[in-house]
Amino acid sequence: MGVSVIRYSPWVMHFNAGACNGCDIEVLAALTPFFDPERFGVKLAPNPRHADIIIVTGALNKKAAERLRRLYEQTPSPKYVIACGACAISGGVFTDSYPVISRADKVVPVDVYVPGCPPRPEAILYGIKKLLDKVARGG
Amino acid sequence: MLRVRTEGEEVVEVSVNTGYNHRGIEKLMEKNSWIKGMYLAGRVCGICNAVHTQVYVQGVEKLMGVEPPPRANYIRTVVMELERIHSHMLISAVVAEIVGFDTLFMLIMRDRERVMYLKDLVTGSRVHADIHIVGGVKRDIDEVRRDKILSELKVVEERLKYYRKVFEEDYTLVKRLTEVGRIRTAEALRHCLVGPTLRASGVKSDVRFDDPYAAYSEIPFNVVVRDEGDSWARMVVRLEEALVSVDIVRYALEHLPQGPAVPKAFPRAAKVGEVISRVEAPRGELIYHIVSTGGGNPYRVKIRTPSFLNIINTEFTYLGHRLADVPVIFASYDPCISCTERVLVVDEKRGLKKYLSLRELARWGTT
Amino acid sequence: MAELSIGNYSFREVGPRRYVVSVDPDKLREAVELVVKEDSYLSTISAVDLPKEGAIELNYVFWSIKHRAALIVKTRVSRERPVVPTIVDIIPGALGGELEAYDLFGVVFEGNARLRRGFLVPEDLTSKGVYPMRKDAGV
Repeated sequence: MGVSVIRYSPWVMHFNAGACNGCDIEVLAALTPFFDPERFGVKLAPNPRHADIIIVTGALNKKAAERLRRLYEQTPSPKYVIACGACAISGGVFTDSYPVISRADKVVPVDVYVPGCPPRPEAILYGIKKLLDKVARGG
Repeated sequence: MLRVRTEGEEVVEVSVNTGYNHRGIEKLMEKNSWIKGMYLAGRVCGICNAVHTQVYVQGVEKLMGVEPPPRANYIRTVVMELERIHSHMLISAVVAEIVGFDTLFMLIMRDRERVMYLKDLVTGSRVHADIHIVGGVKRDIDEVRRDKILSELKVVEERLKYYRKVFEEDYTLVKRLTEVGRIRTAEALRHCLVGPTLRASGVKSDVRFDDPYAAYSEIPFNVVVRDEGDSWARMVVRLEEALVSVDIVRYALEHLPQGPAVPKAFPRAAKVGEVISRVEAPRGELIYHIVSTGGGNPYRVKIRTPSFLNIINTEFTYLGHRLADVPVIFASYDPCISCTERVLVVDEKRGLKKYLSLRELARWGTT
Repeated sequence: MAELSIGNYSFREVGPRRYVVSVDPDKLREAVELVVKEDSYLSTISAVDLPKEGAIELNYVFWSIKHRAALIVKTRVSRERPVVPTIVDIIPGALGGELEAYDLFGVVFEGNARLRRGFLVPEDLTSKGVYPMRKDAGV
């Protein structure tokens, strides 16, 4: 029962792990009236202990990756991670640069990947919806 | 991230922890071609990507001996000014949200979508414009798009005037922003602050006016300056600048020169030399130092973003304020970071060491 | 004008609104003190690694509101012993630039008590004593 409750009101925590802010402003835009995320029950969580979904943006700067790991551990289960943007998925243009790890799934387990540079807010909401469907199927 | 040391509620010391956003772009540029460098430059900052590409491309054009046609300069100006408008609206919304004015945050973000739509219309993308190319721009603006932008701008202008009025008259905003984080003129220069932060402290310094580039030498506009020097002045300067930007876009579109904008070919190698390239990003002066030893890759590209100066050099502005003022002052410098940035608060008197988000700190202190 | 004199220092014009002067490191502080009086602020400190010449070139780029021009003070230090006096006491806004040049190139700004590794560069490189922006850094 605990897991399926998230389908109806997932609270989203956004974490910038060394991003250019392009994905961050699209995540922010996705949470505004024009795109109306609240019809899916999606709201921005005030702190990690209230979050159900963590949206990770950025190429995983090494210092930021440590904090992401800590944040992930602080978030209570059940929890899911969305890797948003080309940088979080594979490093984007910063692949192999010396201060970045490049892939979010090397640091935390990722459930949904939303590609784009940056992905449009509609794509981000679609990614959240895909995640909720996956949760409903028991994934 | 900010590290704040307090005694009870009063801020005694602030230090800025950096390194969380370092992506090694300067090193990457040395390993990639001049053209790929354009895409790297654009991704230094998603919010002000057009201006980063502009400063890079204008420097490279000097090194390659290429002059873009006038129409391309005007189109570049239109994209950069649209970006300035959306950036200023974004920070106004964020500041409103931080002081608890959620409704204003939502309203400004809703109207900002109009500007994002205009960016999409001109460049093909809401965020990363990627419209620059050495010798011009990649896409031209046709009559239909031009008319659409002009008509949409009328609505944007009305909304911006309304938001300026709200920031000038709303009781909560005025109470929380005035007298907070005041920076005197001499201090602003000694600490090398730039952009609206500098202009709100009485210094008339704007790269578009002093060191014109793109089409700015041909477009008449005002430089907005205030002398209060506090967070309120910084926000009002931005909203007034957004209105000036609307006028600039309108003038540019109404006086768009005839001729080509898209180059047919461009050189791949630059001549030997170096160039200092400066532009006015929404947050302040953005400067690139590009060194070429001939060849297909740059030898050195030094990037200094305005937030580097405005965030690191303003540690002194928080002292003596209450803890709940810290996020308000921080946000008034328009930090180019996401708004869930955390602050580490250390209160030795109470034996407290806690990570808090800016939003929590602004509304509830450390309770 | 092709030349701009400030005190004993003669800046030569290298482009519209760009003037350059080259000084020895021991004259740096004197030159900076004069430039600062011209209603100017330090825009950036740009370091360039020149291994073929065994030197690191430092470009102190000032923008002078009075002259409406960029005044660039160039100086060179050896790669073996890259030491130059600090200017943070003359112009506190130089702090970020000095911290950055130290962490990325290893240039020591004598007198700056806040110099430290890890300002930008992650720990896995600082622990090996690597200055990533040097041409022989191997990153």
